[in-house]
Amino acid sequence: MSGAGWLSYSLEDFIMFGPQVFLRLFVRINQDLWPWPLLAVLAGILVPMLLLSQKSAPRRVALGLASVALVTSGYGFLVGYFGPINWPALWFGWGFVLQGVLLGSFMLFGGAPPSRWLDSKSAGYWLAGLWLAAVLALPWLTVAESGDWKAVGLFGLAPGTTAAAGVLLAGSLPGFWRWLYLAVPFFWSLFSAATFWSLQTWWLLGLPVATLILSFLAFRLSPSWARSRG
Amino acid sequence: MVLDRRKFLIGAGLTGLALNSSFLFANSGSTPDSSPITRNIPGTEEAIPAIGMGTWITFNVGGDPALIEQRTQVLKTFFDQGGTLVDGSPMYGTASDVVGEALDRLGARDRLFAATKIWTSDESATRQEAERSGRRWGVEQFDLLQVHNLRGWQGHLETLKAMKAEGQVRYIGITTSHGRRHREFAQIMEREPIDFVQLTYNVLDREAEDRLLPLAQERGIAVIVNRPFQGGSLFGRYQSEPLPDWAGDAGVSNWAEFFLKYIISHPAVTCAIPATTSVEHMKENMGALYGALPGAQQRQKMADYVRSL
Ligand SMILES: NC(=O)c1ccc[n+]([C@@H]2O[C@H](COP(=O)([O-])OP(=O)(O)OC[C@H]3O[C@@H](n4cnc5c(N)ncnc54)[C@H](OP(=O)(O)O)[C@@H]3O)[C@@H](O)[C@H]2O)c1
Repeated sequence: MSGAGWLSYSLEDFIMFGPQVFLRLFVRINQDLWPWPLLAVLAGILVPMLLLSQKSAPRRVALGLASVALVTSGYGFLVGYFGPINWPALWFGWGFVLQGVLLGSFMLFGGAPPSRWLDSKSAGYWLAGLWLAAVLALPWLTVAESGDWKAVGLFGLAPGTTAAAGVLLAGSLPGFWRWLYLAVPFFWSLFSAATFWSLQTWWLLGLPVATLILSFLAFRLSPSWARSRG
Repeated sequence: MVLDRRKFLIGAGLTGLALNSSFLFANSGSTPDSSPITRNIPGTEEAIPAIGMGTWITFNVGGDPALIEQRTQVLKTFFDQGGTLVDGSPMYGTASDVVGEALDRLGARDRLFAATKIWTSDESATRQEAERSGRRWGVEQFDLLQVHNLRGWQGHLETLKAMKAEGQVRYIGITTSHGRRHREFAQIMEREPIDFVQLTYNVLDREAEDRLLPLAQERGIAVIVNRPFQGGSLFGRYQSEPLPDWAGDAGVSNWAEFFLKYIISHPAVTCAIPATTSVEHMKENMGALYGALPGAQQRQKMADYVRSL
């Protein structure tokens, strides 16, 4: 198509599903997997606590939980539920899986144990607080948008919440891998922001915005990040 | 009103438009409230109801059991109100599967005029894509296959012509929307033996009136109109406004009928295909399939009225 041809398209022309169908995906995945979503909530709360631990094993477990959450939200929600009604979601789904595998690989095979958020005490508490805020507050955006509490977008199931919390772990990865790890949530944020804008689901815009803000804060606060800058 | 129609006929004649049977039908006498407004497919004895149904966005509900059931009710309402033509495309995500599932539940394939599209850049994959769509819809063959947005049209159209000759599809055509590629579209209409075109036309987007609609009449090509509500934005803009006080004379009792009757009263138009997720909206839309149609002067007043708001 010519350049002028593309100009005649608007963002809305690429949206092939309605808001009702999208919001129902959260209801459906919660219902289909019940009672496992409860475990996801627990895992979301445990991760920052484990990362504040003095010992390295719990910190590895934390990364393990987060990597499983990325894989389940990618493969479960994006590939399994969202992909059939919106094919780009399939690609993002596999991106989330890759991101989870990356994090999991460092958990299992990474030479040094994941850096302790407590390396810098105040920063560690900030990161933990931000994490808890993300996994406890962001799930309600889908509820606010749909008016149905069953649409709650939980960590480990809903990609928006999982991506937003997940970026806070970027500092746990070394150099190049960290940027690779952040690429998926970054592009996901742009894609989902464009989608929510077109769907006019204004509450949901909070998810990509939160992800981008948290990425920035992770960059500022992560102890290992601060070290590697030196 | 009779006068309006006569003037319209004369006006159309003066502009050199060919008066095919559907034109005369569109504007002849009053249509009894009980029988749906139909249009002949040019060059055939076959008539189809002038309101069909689109499935873009609205029927792409994935595997959601509750929404599949709800959309089944939308389709049921469509059939119950006299509709037959359903338009789809492999581009519309799961819409084909959902239509197929709804048809299973309703057992309504005998009432269906099945229209889908070929949407692949692989110009050698026409037959495979038609077969795949057939399996999804649960139909042995389609009534109409259209090349979606002219994508790979040369190769697809050659195969579609062969499929038609072999009796594997009854009608073939091409589509566009949003006023895109009208020049190339017109060239294909002029040169190729197609039965249908699908294009965007509504009370605000009237570019098709200049060239494509007269050309369709001249060439005896049936016209399906997509985006009759401009993707729904016409309601956003005008629904809070009052209908003109002469609306009743034009056979119009709500905005949905206003928009749709404006379209199907054009002599070149065979059928408009509004899409909806709602049973109530479907009922409103199907209201346009009954009653009087506006004449030429009323159509002009309708366009002027909307522009004045
Ligand atoms: N290139 C192509 O081949 C092409 C391009 C575009 C479209 N198409 C075909 O044409 C069909 C129609 O176009 P479209 O779906 O883009 O747009 P459309 O039919 O102009 O508008 C659909 C929108 O109008 C709303 N609506 C329908 N009836 C209503 C009513 N009575 N009151 C208030 N709102 C109402 C629907 O919302 P609700 O769900 O709330 O009713 C929906 O959002 C498509 O579905 C597709 O099959 C083909």
